[in-house]
Amino acid sequence: MTAVWGLTWKELIRKRVTLMTIIMTVLFWIAFWFVSGAIAGTQEPVDFRSTFDLFGNFANAAMVLTLGFFFGAFAVAFLAIFSSVAAVTGEAEHGVLQSVLARPLPRWKWYLGRWLGFVSYGVLYALILFISIIIICWMKTGVMIDGSVLLKSFALFASVVPLLISMTMLGSCWLSPLGNGIGMTMLFGMGWLGSTIGRLMNGRMLQSDGEKTLETITGLIKTAMPADALQQRMLSELFSISELAGLFDINRSLSYFSINGAPSNAFLLYSAIYTAAMLVTGLLVIRRKDF
Amino acid sequence: MTIPAIETNRLTKDYGDGRGCRDVTLTIEDGEAFGFLGPNGAGKSTIVKMLTGLIQPTSGKAQIFGYASGTIEARRRMGYLPELFRYPDWLTGDEVLAFHAKLCELDRVMAKRRIHQLLDEVGIGSRGRDRLKGYSKGMQQRLGLACALLGNPDIVFLDEPASALDPVGRHEVRELLARLRSQGKTIFLNSHLLEDVELLCDKVALLNNGKVLAEGRVSEVLRMQSNWRIRVNGYTPFALEKIKQLLGVNAVIQSGTAAVDESVWLEVELEDDEQISLVNYLLIELGLTIYEVGKTKSRLDEWFLQAVSGLEHRGERR
Repeated sequence: MTAVWGLTWKELIRKRVTLMTIIMTVLFWIAFWFVSGAIAGTQEPVDFRSTFDLFGNFANAAMVLTLGFFFGAFAVAFLAIFSSVAAVTGEAEHGVLQSVLARPLPRWKWYLGRWLGFVSYGVLYALILFISIIIICWMKTGVMIDGSVLLKSFALFASVVPLLISMTMLGSCWLSPLGNGIGMTMLFGMGWLGSTIGRLMNGRMLQSDGEKTLETITGLIKTAMPADALQQRMLSELFSISELAGLFDINRSLSYFSINGAPSNAFLLYSAIYTAAMLVTGLLVIRRKDF
Repeated sequence: MTIPAIETNRLTKDYGDGRGCRDVTLTIEDGEAFGFLGPNGAGKSTIVKMLTGLIQPTSGKAQIFGYASGTIEARRRMGYLPELFRYPDWLTGDEVLAFHAKLCELDRVMAKRRIHQLLDEVGIGSRGRDRLKGYSKGMQQRLGLACALLGNPDIVFLDEPASALDPVGRHEVRELLARLRSQGKTIFLNSHLLEDVELLCDKVALLNNGKVLAEGRVSEVLRMQSNWRIRVNGYTPFALEKIKQLLGVNAVIQSGTAAVDESVWLEVELEDDEQISLVNYLLIELGLTIYEVGKTKSRLDEWFLQAVSGLEHRGERR
């Protein structure tokens, strides 16, 4: 299994996925550096002399982080989806898989090896992106978030990686790489839209007579694709929204990026079970699949 | 009693659209070279894939050295060269083999030695350090062969091993397979190159539309028709009729052969090689002069064409 895992890493490096990711991430860092500076409004270290400054800076930091993770969520999601989009049918179509699966290696081990390779790669990228966003935000706003909060937030930020890879790899058991890629991107997009509509409704920025119907639809979308809902919970944890409730309304500063109705712990549990179910289904499908 | 290398019992794969194969029962003994023939779309690759565990049979069973096909134990004893394959072109030849060596559970030292030896054996040599992006189709095929032999398997399944090779490559592959055979390996050769099958294999089976049409030892198949060519002088149609009458065999003047000097070539189809002495005796008795007598070996392709002639091949369906 480690051989398959290692080969997956080699593939991602040799096929220039890493090079492309690095180039695009560096471009993002440059853009994010200037955007953060513009939002923070000062390049000088912040002097917290008053509560007003403190909240003002926190609001700026929240906006910087929200924008950073808005990009981060998409970058991590697309990396997870497109790195694993051809994992099964793509390799079978190219005739790569047949010689591998004829070896004395249980198919589930091959599948799990690929999964671990993609997930470890995606999580490492998520970690680099997460740390860089936090550091840039700290350098520009002077706000540094508590370590335990960061840890919890990172776990939520990175949890999207195994979720999307499990779903994409399962899809690749039946769909061609192109079909799977389109399907997963659209599903992710729907998840994002569902989550956004939900936030707007919770923040009373979207009012409709069919509120009940919208709630049901967005709920179903989030259930099918919990990725963006997990990101909302991550931001909620990062800004300690529950701790600040009644003291400071950060959503007023975040406007359309506000975090309303972040998913509950039960939803997190559901997402974990959903991820595991997708992985286990993939492992079962690959055992009986004809190549 | 020794366990057969391959044993299938009414092995069937039904894809539901008429493709696949039905009730294929074969026994291939350890150390035998087996040629699997058939027109395009006959279902040969389907059977190979069932034997290697890549597809599940609809019914029936297959065993490799007594282990159910597709099990780890069965896969541990075999090497496989798929028909249409491509290794990742971002790897080098060495890396492909090193990866497969890990899957074959070879230890590092053994793997290194084996990789080096096999790259030389298949004619890749130091180009093993190059990325596959720069490999020709023939080079890829050679690498595929090396990969199939990597785990020193007891049985090798080769699905069209020489399909992408030039004549030199084909000759080398033929020699390599002959070496494997002399080492006592069991070879399952799925090929359209009947000449290779004829030279290499002990047994053959012919598949058409998913069913085994005929099977047997190559020597028996080739002996089914014992054809002889005789160059004679003083030929008369009467002599030919006399031979046909007395021996009850088919004898013709070989079509397309011009008489050399005043002689002609006669082609005689015998049931038994022993009859040739009687034919010679009769010809001399009839006053003909015999210049040359030789056996016309019935080629496997003739057997193949004869066996499938008049039958519908689903590979040709429109």
